[in-house]
Amino acid sequence: MHDNISAEERALLDKFLADNKMFLGPDPEIMRDHTVTPRSAAEEAVLKQGFDTHQAHHIRGLINAALSEAFTMVNQMGAAPGAKWGDLVTAIYTAEGNLAMIAPHGIITFAACAFYPIRFIIKNWVSDPTVGVKDGDGFIHNDARYGGVHNTDQSMMMPLYYKGELICWLSSTIHEGENGACEPGGLPAAAESKYDEGIKMSPFKVVENFQIKRDLVTFLQNSVRDPKLQLEDMKVKLHAVMRLRDRIIAILDQFGREALIATMRMHLEDTETEVRRRIRELPDGTTRVLQFMDSSLRENCMQKISVAITVKGDRMICDFRGTAPQFMNRSVNTNLASFKAALATGLLQNIWPDLPHTMAVLSPIEVITDPNSIIDAEGEMPQAMSLMPLFKACVAWTVPMAKFNYSLPRRYSAIIASQYDQAATFIYGGLTQHGDVTGNFCGDINGMGQGARSHADGEHSVSPVFGFMADSGEHEINEEDTPIIRLGAQRLAKDRVGFGKYRGGMGYEQIATARGSGMWGFMTGCEGSKFPSAQGLFGGYSCPAYQLLKIKGVNIFETLNRDPKAIEVFDILKLMNERPLAGGKYSSNDMGMTFELCDEGEIYMICQGSGGGYGDVLERDPALVMKDIEEDLLSADLAREIYKVVFDERTLVVDEDATRAMRDDYRRQRLQRGKPFDAFCKDWVTAEPPADLPYFGSWDDNRRIYAQNPAINLKVVMNADQLQGFYMPNPKDLQIASLEAQLAKAQAALEACQAAGR
Amino acid sequence: MKRVSVDIGGTFTDTFVVWDNQYIEGKALTTHHNLALGFNESLGDACKQLKVDPSLLLSEVDSVRYSTTLGTNALIERKGPRIGVLVTTGFKSTIPLSRARGYGEGLSEPEQMDIPNAKRPQPIVPIPMIREVRERIDYLGQVFWTLDEDDVRLRIRELVDAGAEALVVMFTNSVVNPEHELRVREIFLEEYPAHLLGAIPMLLSHQVAGRKGEYARGTSTIMDAFLHQTMYHGLGTLELNLRAQGYSKPMLVSHNSGGMAQLNSTDALQTVHSGPVSGIAASEHLAAAAELGNVVATDMGGTSFDIGIVDQSGVKHYDFNPVIDRWLVSIPMVHLVTLGAGGGSIARYDRMFGSVELGPESAGSDPGPACYDRGGLKPTVTDADLLLGYLDPKNYANGRIPLNPKRARQAVEDHLCDELDLSVADTAKLIKRNVDAGMANGIATELRTRGYEPKDFTILAYGGNGPLHACGIANALGVSRILAPPFSSTFSACGAANVNQMHIHEMSTWTVLFNPATRGFFNDYDGFNRSVEELERRGREDLLRQGMDEQQIRYRLELDMRYGNQRVQTAVVTELNRLHTQKDVLKLMDQFHESYGARFGAGSQSPETGVRINTIRVCAFVEQPKVAFAKLRLGDKTVAPPSPVVQRDCHFVGHDQPLPTPVYDDQALAEGTRIEGPAIVTTRATTYLVEPGWTYRAAAQGGVWFVKE
Repeated sequence: MHDNISAEERALLDKFLADNKMFLGPDPEIMRDHTVTPRSAAEEAVLKQGFDTHQAHHIRGLINAALSEAFTMVNQMGAAPGAKWGDLVTAIYTAEGNLAMIAPHGIITFAACAFYPIRFIIKNWVSDPTVGVKDGDGFIHNDARYGGVHNTDQSMMMPLYYKGELICWLSSTIHEGENGACEPGGLPAAAESKYDEGIKMSPFKVVENFQIKRDLVTFLQNSVRDPKLQLEDMKVKLHAVMRLRDRIIAILDQFGREALIATMRMHLEDTETEVRRRIRELPDGTTRVLQFMDSSLRENCMQKISVAITVKGDRMICDFRGTAPQFMNRSVNTNLASFKAALATGLLQNIWPDLPHTMAVLSPIEVITDPNSIIDAEGEMPQAMSLMPLFKACVAWTVPMAKFNYSLPRRYSAIIASQYDQAATFIYGGLTQHGDVTGNFCGDINGMGQGARSHADGEHSVSPVFGFMADSGEHEINEEDTPIIRLGAQRLAKDRVGFGKYRGGMGYEQIATARGSGMWGFMTGCEGSKFPSAQGLFGGYSCPAYQLLKIKGVNIFETLNRDPKAIEVFDILKLMNERPLAGGKYSSNDMGMTFELCDEGEIYMICQGSGGGYGDVLERDPALVMKDIEEDLLSADLAREIYKVVFDERTLVVDEDATRAMRDDYRRQRLQRGKPFDAFCKDWVTAEPPADLPYFGSWDDNRRIYAQNPAINLKVVMNADQLQGFYMPNPKDLQIASLEAQLAKAQAALEACQAAGR
Repeated sequence: MKRVSVDIGGTFTDTFVVWDNQYIEGKALTTHHNLALGFNESLGDACKQLKVDPSLLLSEVDSVRYSTTLGTNALIERKGPRIGVLVTTGFKSTIPLSRARGYGEGLSEPEQMDIPNAKRPQPIVPIPMIREVRERIDYLGQVFWTLDEDDVRLRIRELVDAGAEALVVMFTNSVVNPEHELRVREIFLEEYPAHLLGAIPMLLSHQVAGRKGEYARGTSTIMDAFLHQTMYHGLGTLELNLRAQGYSKPMLVSHNSGGMAQLNSTDALQTVHSGPVSGIAASEHLAAAAELGNVVATDMGGTSFDIGIVDQSGVKHYDFNPVIDRWLVSIPMVHLVTLGAGGGSIARYDRMFGSVELGPESAGSDPGPACYDRGGLKPTVTDADLLLGYLDPKNYANGRIPLNPKRARQAVEDHLCDELDLSVADTAKLIKRNVDAGMANGIATELRTRGYEPKDFTILAYGGNGPLHACGIANALGVSRILAPPFSSTFSACGAANVNQMHIHEMSTWTVLFNPATRGFFNDYDGFNRSVEELERRGREDLLRQGMDEQQIRYRLELDMRYGNQRVQTAVVTELNRLHTQKDVLKLMDQFHESYGARFGAGSQSPETGVRINTIRVCAFVEQPKVAFAKLRLGDKTVAPPSPVVQRDCHFVGHDQPLPTPVYDDQALAEGTRIEGPAIVTTRATTYLVEPGWTYRAAAQGGVWFVKE
């Protein structure tokens, strides 16, 4: 063996390796770097001469107007439900692929990870003689492993050449939904490998001379369930990007290439400087929060996301080490690039909403993870339902940053508890009443309950965790396109908020069935049915757990036709507690349901949840408690039990003195229950996770990671820097094994009886 | 022609009187406690100029037309009845949850982004006043859950017991089958005696808005119910006031659809924003009469900047789901975009980019800009305009508001100069440049999203600050022609004098012109034609009820069409009032193809994914005589400028040093007057700023052109 090689040999070997790549997969060099690249030679040349900040400001306004125009086009023309209800973006990137600006109303996350595929194109296709990049080209992409939230989003990316020089890149992204995965709708929780995820487009050229290549679009149409949608929205994105191109060229004509290059670069650098300034304003220290995902969407298991934010001067370090290891056959993994994009979104949405929407927001922040953890999964892992950890990333900031921000003389927004962070909406697929094959999701994802604030209750159903001014839609319009009938459209749920001095905002119940289709089905991809999703802040309660409820084996339409008074009201609690549909099979399930067929008139029910509460429930103004009762958000029993309010149930008049006395008494009870911290830890803290708990992640030491699944007697403890993925058994196999065991037991009992002559 | 039209705004009540060949403008302060007083004073002002007794004038005019802000004010003050709402079971939270995005409707972009501080508006209907009723209809109008009449009776009783003063019925899919909503009204009539019915109006959602979308239709109906009482009392009082002064005809009320109707044929919701919309109507008529081509109408006031589009080919731009106050509604309203940029917009230092940001905070009129000397301490656009030398401190707003330049300077110095490291003059220039650019970007976005190019437009600049900023906006936009229109200080009132009596009726439809699955084409001509005929009938009845001659009634058919499953609502105006053949179907699709391509780009069309009609809309109207605008085209006639009243140094964007700038008075309004910029013309009504490179040319009837050669 000759391990010693010279530098010359090393160089030759490296050249060979570079020249002989078998597969241009996701490139770690690109995918692990979320920072703005150093100034290019062109940028340096322009900026070293100095550029008028006010001129840049003026040009920034023009770019914003152009992005906004293109956004409006996509919103108007888009056929995907995601486009109709606001899940889209248009964006501009520097020639090096740095995300400079996005449309004011665009989904930040989409653009915040679309710079990765652009960097891939720059690195691999520009100089590849079989591909090349030239004016009029357009590239499509959807595989999140090359950058993206998940494979249901498709981007169109176009280089902009001006006088022969590549000046910038433009993009448009829509949450398209259907992508040919093993389940319809583009979000297959059942995907056990990446090969179940449907079409996986690495960035490739699909447009030449501003024309979509018909052979390629046919291939793509052939790969998905909804060829109509695939074609229609490819045209939409292309034409929106072309319109954006026209506008940027007009800016170049008017102000010159230097002005555009300088404006984009200054926009990035100024934003980065501002972020560092804001970090410097924070007190030094470390704050933490532990987040838990309670399901892999196939089985219930606790997966920890460990968050520690450290501020030192103008450095901020987000440390996620100690997080659960990746699953090899579950879809709830995400890659690091997507995770960072969600972090950027959450920072903008919850902490510094006045900052420009650009990658420079996250660029100065250091992010540390354990490779092969569920938030930093390697490429072979399925990640079709990466939304689960990504939504956690969106809200990860709220608790730790509230601790940093609370006492600052200048806040940039309100102190807020965590928003409800689950995709509580129906994903659907099948044959529409018009005979079209389709698969997608409902706009109800856009109405998550807001966390309570330090000054007010959370707003009900305010926005999704990943965007603002998104729309939960109109059901009359939705019912035209799909056979889904809403029996409960958007109905505020009772007794299911995050309580506190200020309560979280509520989401809503959704009760759905299908009618007029030969084949239709639903799935839901949510966690939080066992363990609360949204955490409270400074003593506020977390939101409760929410379940998926089903009434199978009924046809509600026949029932209503036969007896219109059979149902009093479509309310989840009443339906499940009173069971008015005779013969129906009522069940309560966790919200991770893989696709299943829904016969006409069968009923599926879920609830969009509440944000976390803020502050001590005993400090809640009794008048607000009465208002909640009046608005049917709270029952009288719970008002007494949680808030300790004494009142007349008929008139809702509060007995102030009795309330005060009751609350004082309860405070005394708390003190009596209380114990010193060390004593509490002694009683409460265990050395390891409970043996009967499916648990993944660190326990008290972030360097030691547990993976335990009692169902298959798995218990592994790993060093954090040597994480490996885990297979989970097929729940159906477990069920079969359980039934077989029962059968064997019964058989044995029978044989014993027979042997005994009984 | 003899005619009176009135626009009651927040500050002024404007009157525009047409008295044969004379056009007279009257003005008075709005009297919010009793609008009739301001109206009388404003009319008196016009009559004084005309030397005609108001009673004589009112007895001789063909109509009194009225644009009101009553509805807007009632919404701001939340002044209206307690409303109870009946909805389909399962939809009880649709209104309060406001499609999630309701937290931000009607707010500025920064406010929308600041979700942690989100706050929904105070609801018009509190949650306890919403009741569910057992019933359900599907998207095709088929009943799958019959109306539970006992439930209806119970819920109505509960709402009445809870103090409902008006009732709204909003049932899902009622626009395709109104059977259940209509039955609720019958039950209401059965259950309650007439005198109670008279006191508690019941509004059915399908009669207020004809399109699908349960939330927007619900809010429309609720707002209509909420404003109904206030508006009818207010307008009724005004009508009585007119009667007392000798006016015997029905008063006509301007609508935000760009038409007008008698009071008894007006829904309250149709009156909201009717003033600004009348300004667009005036622009439309002016553009046609004066052959201006495409026009973008801009109204820059103290707190906002309104933009409207007039297409010379007659294409109408509507918002089908406009935001009124803080709510999305479902009525066809003339497209009007309001940007938060006016004279009162506050300028602040933008630390991040080292420049100046304008708004969304506004000093409004109280305390107003710092230079008003009424307690405002922050620098505003008007302060910058004053410091740049454009405004005469002693003659602002016709001398009504004295300006204090020291206050303006202090505000700019205290808040901006140090941070920017700029002089007061340079800072003020930056404010002007940025506010003008912001408005230009707003106009550009509006035009381009509809497939237009700004350079193909003439800017129509009116409103108190319009002619002051028009050149700056045009510079940023690349537009070379601006017209400050005749009668600009009463332009909305002038617009009301030009609208037709018109009613718009629309209905949702599921009409598939081309089905990609079957590759078949629409052929149910009778069904389609019946729908059109029904909408024409409704419009016809509205107009006949108001005494119109049936022979004079005209109809315009508009179809909202889309490809595949799009959401886009591209209204196609078609001369094909009926469908008879496959050729007609193809022609309709061709027309859609063309208008879609013009808007979104050639090749963007997707007919292969299906072509559908979503909404059928019929505008029924009667053409009526209009104000005769003079030919305003730029002619050869040139009159030398009068002697300047004064000359002062003014600062201009793009010029490092101040330029000596002559200032003229009303004499410069003489037709043909030509003045090269820089120059300022200060008249009784407004200030015209002619920036360097622009030429001022006075046209007929007090109109003024700004031209960049």
